[in-house]
Amino acid sequence: MSSADAVRDSIYRSCMYKDEMKWEKWLDLCDEDFQYSITAYSPEIRNDMIYLSGNREEMLGMMKMLPKHNTDHSPLKRHCSVYVVEFEADGSTATAVSSIVVYQTQLDGINSHVDAGESKVFLVGRYFDKFRVTDGVAKFIEREVKLDTRKLDKGSHYPI
Amino acid sequence: MAKSRNHEQWTSPPPFPQDEYVDSRIYSDQEIFEEEQEKIFKKAWIPVCHESELPEPYDFRTTTIAKEPVILTRAKDGKVRAFLNVCPHRGNMLERAPSGSFLDGSPSGNPRHITCMFHAWQFDMKGRCVYISRQEEGYQDRLKKQQMGLRELKCEVYFGGFVWVTLNDQIDMTVEEWSAGSLEVLKPSLDEEPLEVFHYHKAIIPCNYKLWHDTNCEFYHDFLHYHNRITGFNDAYFARKNTGFDNGHINVGSFEVQYDNYEGSHSREEISFPHLPPNHWYMIDMFPGVNFNLRGSSLRCDIMTPIGPNEVMIEFRGLGLKSDDAVTRRSRVDHHNSIWGPFGRNLHEDLLAVTGQGSAMNAHAERRQILHGRHENETIHDENGMRHFYEEWGRWMDRLPSNPDKPFVEPAAASSAAAG
Repeated sequence: MSSADAVRDSIYRSCMYKDEMKWEKWLDLCDEDFQYSITAYSPEIRNDMIYLSGNREEMLGMMKMLPKHNTDHSPLKRHCSVYVVEFEADGSTATAVSSIVVYQTQLDGINSHVDAGESKVFLVGRYFDKFRVTDGVAKFIEREVKLDTRKLDKGSHYPI
Repeated sequence: MAKSRNHEQWTSPPPFPQDEYVDSRIYSDQEIFEEEQEKIFKKAWIPVCHESELPEPYDFRTTTIAKEPVILTRAKDGKVRAFLNVCPHRGNMLERAPSGSFLDGSPSGNPRHITCMFHAWQFDMKGRCVYISRQEEGYQDRLKKQQMGLRELKCEVYFGGFVWVTLNDQIDMTVEEWSAGSLEVLKPSLDEEPLEVFHYHKAIIPCNYKLWHDTNCEFYHDFLHYHNRITGFNDAYFARKNTGFDNGHINVGSFEVQYDNYEGSHSREEISFPHLPPNHWYMIDMFPGVNFNLRGSSLRCDIMTPIGPNEVMIEFRGLGLKSDDAVTRRSRVDHHNSIWGPFGRNLHEDLLAVTGQGSAMNAHAERRQILHGRHENETIHDENGMRHFYEEWGRWMDRLPSNPDKPFVEPAAASSAAAG
């Protein structure tokens, strides 16, 4: 597998693991110094915003706390297309830009008898990722999920 | 022995006075919703944004009150003014963007003017009509620019820079008078130095706006939030007072939150708002649908815009100090959004709960009687805040919240009648 393919493979696997809510396996794709954020630009206040952020340990801690929280269990599915993969001159770090659309299939968020099973677009945006590539393995060192969607209604406890 | 109930038992009044429960119809009835728009939302002062959202001359911000489109502008004199966002010519919406600057020209008009894209009529930041295209050819001397100004609305900047607007020209009180003392507890913290909005997002939720306001007014629902139970629920928490003010507003008193008790959370004492004791948390709920919520280092403001009897738009803002350096601001953002952001711990839980209420209270449902009858010496789990709100709501609507087909009766008078 080429280094670019290794980057794409990590991006797609990260989607798959998050879809399956295998949070530890997702974070296994990330290096120790990984930083995660969900951001958006607000035309209302004309400023960049950070909706959620955390390092690897903080993200894992948040996910481990989920059973203690009430949450919308409607599953999210991430449809991702990797647009660009670019390497630094040393070949060991890479950046990637991907399109992301997240669908939510209703389960228990509203009236499950009526709504369960319906899929809706939950949000759209882009992934801006940075990787450290070692021995053909691309580990995330940064992911910024930059959202276009800002009307997020009930929101979610799940990372995107 | 406890048992389930049949229709008659279920719809019979609870063992409370009439001001300690409400009929669920007030959350779902179309006629009541339309009446609220006319009697309440077109009459009250409503905060619509923060002045930091239009910081420079020629900046604008658009919003909606009671289905009326509204535009705020800042003129060269620095003053923020409010107008209906409606062209007096053919009723088109003048500005379509949520915010921006009129310093830039538009395809139909000149810089420094509000231009209606439809027929290129132009207005200045004070709402004066300054240009009518082909005026003399079409109107000769029958219509003058002086007659075609925008509809100006009463507007004040008050309480840490929030911009308040009312559609009611006849309102006989300032925002300060309208707040009736409810804002005083946080005025020193918010007025010490300029604030700035760092967070904005909105939610459209299938529930009545009052259900969201109720959730902000009562803390008994902290059982919903693991975060609040583990960082609160001590003697100081249960001693927090709910205090009512005139015009239906309430305060929820403060205590020191034990943020360290929640895994991954930390004290906020180093960046408390001015004059606020470390890690303290005050809440102000203003009639008819506004919430100010100061948790130590960050201020949240919810503004509710009812869309239908079972639909509300809630705008969530987060604010810090304008003087923040980058590190401090980042901490405030993290503190705010870890709990109150769209991916935060608590907001999602609150929104799930009111969505469930909206789903379970449709317009033609068998009547639910929503209980507001907890008495705990007006402390945090007392429901006096909601009782206070609905007493005011009843006055404005001239409807009895517990039986909205009947005219409002002051609780004291009802108690006397019942005793007599």
